[in-house]
Amino acid sequence: MSALPSQSLLLIADTCLVWGHRLSEWCGHGPQLEEDIALTNTALDVIGQARSLYQLYALRAGNGLTEDKLAYFRGADAFQNVAIAAVENGDYAQTVLRSLILSAWFVPLWRELAIGRDPELAAIAVEAEKAARVQRRHASDWTIRFGDGTAESRRRIEHAISTLAPWVPALLAAEIDGTDRARRENEWRSFIAEVMAEATLDAFPVGSSSDHAFEANAKQALSALLHEMQSLAREHPEAVW
Amino acid sequence: MYTQAIDTDPTSRNSPTSHASVAEDVFLARIAQDEKIEPQDWMPEAYRKTLVRQISQHAHSEVVGMLPEGGWITRAPSLRRKEILLAKVQDEGGHGLYLYSAAETLGVSREQLIDALHSGKAKYSSIFNYETKTWADIGTIGWLVDGAAIMNQVPLCRCSYGPYARAMIRICKEESFHQRQGFDIVRALCEGTPEQKAMAQESLNRWWWPTLMMFGPHDSDSTHTGQASAYGIKRISNDDLRQKFVDVTVAQAEFLGLSIPDPALRWNAERGHYDFGKIDWDEFWRVVNGQGPCNEARMHDRISAFEEGRWVRDAASAHAAKRAARAVARAGALEAA
Amino acid sequence: MSDSSSKSLAPTDWPLFEVFIRSKQGLDHKHVGSLHASDAEHAIALARDVYTRRQEGVSIWVVPSKAITASNPALKNENFDPMASKIYRHPTFYDIPEEIGHM
Ligand SMILES: [Fe+2]
Ligand SMILES: [Fe+2]
Repeated sequence: MSALPSQSLLLIADTCLVWGHRLSEWCGHGPQLEEDIALTNTALDVIGQARSLYQLYALRAGNGLTEDKLAYFRGADAFQNVAIAAVENGDYAQTVLRSLILSAWFVPLWRELAIGRDPELAAIAVEAEKAARVQRRHASDWTIRFGDGTAESRRRIEHAISTLAPWVPALLAAEIDGTDRARRENEWRSFIAEVMAEATLDAFPVGSSSDHAFEANAKQALSALLHEMQSLAREHPEAVW
Repeated sequence: MYTQAIDTDPTSRNSPTSHASVAEDVFLARIAQDEKIEPQDWMPEAYRKTLVRQISQHAHSEVVGMLPEGGWITRAPSLRRKEILLAKVQDEGGHGLYLYSAAETLGVSREQLIDALHSGKAKYSSIFNYETKTWADIGTIGWLVDGAAIMNQVPLCRCSYGPYARAMIRICKEESFHQRQGFDIVRALCEGTPEQKAMAQESLNRWWWPTLMMFGPHDSDSTHTGQASAYGIKRISNDDLRQKFVDVTVAQAEFLGLSIPDPALRWNAERGHYDFGKIDWDEFWRVVNGQGPCNEARMHDRISAFEEGRWVRDAASAHAAKRAARAVARAGALEAA
Repeated sequence: MSDSSSKSLAPTDWPLFEVFIRSKQGLDHKHVGSLHASDAEHAIALARDVYTRRQEGVSIWVVPSKAITASNPALKNENFDPMASKIYRHPTFYDIPEEIGHM
């Protein structure tokens, strides 16, 4: 067995949790009842993935570490998530665009991990890849509807693209041990290009590197998110729920 | 989750037999024989109206009911609880959807139904106008509110209107998970630290009476019960259901070591039931009629989700229309070729 | 694009679809309910999320509700009652001697 180094494991797990938190904020507030239910399924999928990964991490770390200690008792500085996962939801266009960006990154990542050298992680990845594919389809369908829908939806998806694009270079630059970063980036670029074309949108503007100001914003959004998520658990550090 | 027998529509107060016709006699005979009525069957206008009112009120309750618990998804104190709560609240959305679909078979559109909710014409269960102040409330809601809902809903699985009965069967299958997860939350609190236990008790103190109100006014004050049971829409009376709920819940509270906030609560061996104190019906009507702690916030959330979602729905419609037009054009081009 | 100015022309309600689910390979698709979606493909995607949250299915059909033609309920008696008298179509109509056993 060749276990994935813990840093990489945390990067994936934290990304799933933080993104799942954002998606879960929509529950009960979606644009249509059917869609509310559909989006919540994606939240459940990624939160479930985060749990499996934390459990694996905790098991390997030993000394009494648990999934909840990892989720609730680390500060923003210790979180390893890719920054874009923590960005606030914005409107529905921005929410589905983030899902597109992340799921298009996750599909090749999970696929590679599913046949990788870490068998325990591979077992998680096999299931996660299926869920990521559904999520990528959901997000690309909506991106296409927005680009090729009404004038307002087009304006909104274009705005979402310019809001989220600055975070993409850091995502694509993220190294996960035992996986091929460049190949993942290529697959991401070609998938996004296809979706943009079908949505009748301009090519996705991936910059060369992320701006430091954006990094600071993302940290701030993450801190606020964790403050809310961890508030109750930290009030009762001894409690079992 | 939640049907509540609130009488809000004065037009349907006349008894179904008051303007009897042959068709109506046949219809009532079918119901008396436990036959199901399906959408295309002839039905008295009062039956249709009663159903639309009750099913849509029920649907609205499910959807508004997502809000009080939904507010705790982001703060759930463990990942396991977060996952469960998210799935539970999502289920309630599903219930709303099944019920809107059942109502739509009666010739009203989803838009009309939602419009009636947003304009204040349609009611929803008063229980969702109370605040979820603590995490314990999430447990209490599952345990008591979903518990009360199940008690109300199981008899509806046999109601006379086919689409409503089928929706209720699907819903009831999902509800028992809701009640169990709620009981499980409360149980963990009761077995936890003294602060956790206190949190559970404080929550029960706030939710007990509003939960009893969920069963609706006393049978003697309920204008609809007689008619709804003649129509096979309501099978067990408000007071009977309420009594049944009290009887089973007392033992559960005892198991948890929680005390029910009612000094008048005691076993009546003669009746074979628990006696319990007087319900504050003034509070009930205040909350039903809009002056509960959260009525405004709930409606605000629903309306803004709907209004902010409009451009999303419109975009999907516009895109679908474009795709359909392109498909027609492609087919035309093929034919011409 | 002038779509947003002609908002009132756009249908605000997505059309209704009836959903049929095959619960297990080898079984028929069965009607489970309905939902609103912008088109048929969208309806399939949503039906997966709405009606198979507990693994209730392995295959989904959707049909626009408007496309369903139903038999006339007023003709129920004349359509279906005449079949009641054709009891000879049922195997239990026939006596098989015990010596023959199962047939
Ligand atoms: Fe429920
Ligand atoms: Fe429910």
